[in-house]
Amino acid sequence: MFEQIVMALLNGILLGGVLALLAFGLNLIFGVVKIIHLAYGQFVMLGFYFIYFFHTSWHIPLIPAMAMGIVAMGLIGILTQLLIINPLLNAPRLNQLLALASLIIVMENLAQVIWGADYRGIPITMPIIQFGDIFIRSSFLAAFIGAIFTLGLLYLFLNRTYLGLGIRAVAQDLDMAKGVGINPKVIYYVTLAAGGALTGLVAAFFVPIYTVHPHFGASFTLMAFVIVVFGGMGNLLGGFISAFIIGIVTSVTAVLSSPEVADILAMVMFIGMMMIRPQGLLGTES
Amino acid sequence: MQPKSKFSTYWQPLVLLILVVLPFVVTSSYLTHIMTLILLWSFVATAWAYMARFGMVSLGHGVFLGIGAYIPTMMFNYWGLTPWIGVFIGLAVAMAVAAILGYSCFRFGLLGDYFALVTLAVAEVSALTIMALRAITGGGLGYTLRSTGRLADMQFADKRSFYFIALILLLGAVYIWRRIDRSPVRLALTAIEESEIAAASLGVSVIRYKMMITLLSAALTALGGALYAQYVTYISPDTIAGVGVSLSICFKAILGGMFTVLGPFVGSAIIVLLEEYIRISFGTSFLGLSQIIFGISLLLMIIFMPKGIMGSMTEAIARRFNKVSVRQ
Amino acid sequence: MLKVQGIDVFYGEFQALDNVTLKLDKGQTVIVVGPNGAGKSTLLRTISGLQKPRRGSIEFEGQRIDKMEAHKVVESGVSSVPEGGRVFPNLSVQDNLKVGSYNKVAREKAEEWLPRIFELFPILATRKKQRAGSLSGGERQMLAIGRSLMSQPKLIMLDEPSLGLAPMVVNMVFEFILKMKQEGYAILLVEQNANKALKVADYAYLIESGKLVYEGRSEDFDKNPYIKTAYLGI
Repeated sequence: MFEQIVMALLNGILLGGVLALLAFGLNLIFGVVKIIHLAYGQFVMLGFYFIYFFHTSWHIPLIPAMAMGIVAMGLIGILTQLLIINPLLNAPRLNQLLALASLIIVMENLAQVIWGADYRGIPITMPIIQFGDIFIRSSFLAAFIGAIFTLGLLYLFLNRTYLGLGIRAVAQDLDMAKGVGINPKVIYYVTLAAGGALTGLVAAFFVPIYTVHPHFGASFTLMAFVIVVFGGMGNLLGGFISAFIIGIVTSVTAVLSSPEVADILAMVMFIGMMMIRPQGLLGTES
Repeated sequence: MQPKSKFSTYWQPLVLLILVVLPFVVTSSYLTHIMTLILLWSFVATAWAYMARFGMVSLGHGVFLGIGAYIPTMMFNYWGLTPWIGVFIGLAVAMAVAAILGYSCFRFGLLGDYFALVTLAVAEVSALTIMALRAITGGGLGYTLRSTGRLADMQFADKRSFYFIALILLLGAVYIWRRIDRSPVRLALTAIEESEIAAASLGVSVIRYKMMITLLSAALTALGGALYAQYVTYISPDTIAGVGVSLSICFKAILGGMFTVLGPFVGSAIIVLLEEYIRISFGTSFLGLSQIIFGISLLLMIIFMPKGIMGSMTEAIARRFNKVSVRQ
Repeated sequence: MLKVQGIDVFYGEFQALDNVTLKLDKGQTVIVVGPNGAGKSTLLRTISGLQKPRRGSIEFEGQRIDKMEAHKVVESGVSSVPEGGRVFPNLSVQDNLKVGSYNKVAREKAEEWLPRIFELFPILATRKKQRAGSLSGGERQMLAIGRSLMSQPKLIMLDEPSLGLAPMVVNMVFEFILKMKQEGYAILLVEQNANKALKVADYAYLIESGKLVYEGRSEDFDKNPYIKTAYLGI
């Protein structure tokens, strides 16, 4: 039992890394464009399908297929900004939410029509690392390392480039950002492209771990939101920490009880946080 | 809210007349069935709009629907408790849940986005709970009402009875809305929506008013869920709880025009008819395709008709006759 | 340099500015005075492109800017320091200055200008890496002015720079505005503290309830009896 818990703990940490990437993307989009991307998990699903498609139908080798998947999702992000978000920038919040909810319906069913309801995957065997009675899947480890590395790069991008500076400025004060010559439309496109590309990256990490199906996104979307709001919406560090907390809690609970109870616990933690401290762990009172 | 224009004075009684007469004139039981569903969902959508009209957007009304559907049904199936009583127990539970959630949210000043996300999470919890308790609820496979055909068990021989019950409920909901609209409650809630701080400083009990509307909305929604269970006799987390249904309610209300009287009815009609049409023409073979068209239609409607159909129409007509300035 | 012609500005149904006309020449310092809510801030917002006039036109160096996007107005050479400074609270002092030089023209000169700004405002240099939100009111105002300078503007617009500041700091601010004037910047200043403002200005406008009520050279301004009592407290 002890080993199981330790394994669950480790897996929680490893998956936490990938969840942190998702949280980052969502936080970025919310912080900058001020829109709640309800269909983010479905983006991950689509990214997975893209990679699958490039690899199995076009016979592109795996790593380039993953790279193409990332680029494709970046483009999807831009398309989303262009077709859905731009027209609704000044619309009531409810309309924005419902528009993205419609996107969920479209994407899940698009996947179903093109690839069917069965589970699809790319069989990749990666070695299992063993410490005594404790097993770690190297696919999890690779995802973790990749996620941390990417987050590091993103941190540098945001803090050391003009574009990153522009993004941070728009997130803090849109009017003033315009007042120093920043074009918000460009920033929005970059943000959505980055957010989209991140989902492609997460999908790439998931390829050796999961198989994909049209409802793959649903579980991630809500979990990603729980993480983001728990950590403080728009707060990148908060999302990072929260991803690990929630990742570990759900992982260990799933082993101690059941996956459904784990999810319920995550929801309850989320609702509880909203009552006690609505701005989340590191959020600032607005 | 919507000022009374000549347009609405004529429209509404006319529509009412048509609705009352319809089941007697129309022979197709299928059509009556569709209309019953439309009326039922209009009722639920109207109840949802009570809260939404004052800025409390709930993306989780599925929880109340689910409670209203599952509790009376399970009590009947397992214990033989007649739904005539079971429904009230369901209502009470729904109101209790609403009270806890509402109070916690309002007490801690949870607004806007955060409120919406919490409701979303609650809806998901409700669906997950139903699944987790699959031993008694049937989980994802759904749950069927035990059929006895007795009036004492709220099962009517003539299905048209449900039509009229739904119609009466809808009228009741509209009537209640009218009363609220003309009462100080509405003024209080509008003030709260604009600025909670200002309203509170004027002595308006912010929490009390918000709770009133929330409890009312939850109770009526649960009632709708109960009626659905009795009518359709088959319920599952997908159809009556969870995020999908919750969002569907929102769509029904706002597509027609959330702030108008006929809005939720029009919106429900559109969505129910759209779903039926797509189901019939495409059958189950192209199920995905039909949903894609459905989703895209919703998207287009949201982008191009942000005030919903009735909202846009009323605005257009008001502008045309240049009589009243429509304030949304 | 700047020509505002008969603009009407509305917030919904509410008219904030009514047929306002204003002129500013190269190197001039012009002030706009008036009571609270008169529309002074609206005027600046409209010139900077955050608000669009329903009627009338705004020209800068011969170019129509009233239909331009706000960030493009900055590129044309108009920079503003809004009320309270409005620094980016979660960016460092240094980043606030850097972001000021976001537009193409300014970016090339950024490396050269950053040390100059620190020279002008030594107190900012000591707080280089500090979060801008943690600065005092006066320091934030300095930062906002510094940030505005980084945009390489031709015209600087300041909205109530002395608001909420201690008298000593207010003096510093006006000393600085004088220095900018000497460097050749055109300055459009909105102030309630008309006394101090008139000393640095060449020309003055008085706005009340969205309408232009009086304009004239600053020397003539304080000779007008109505203005004297209403605004100069004499």
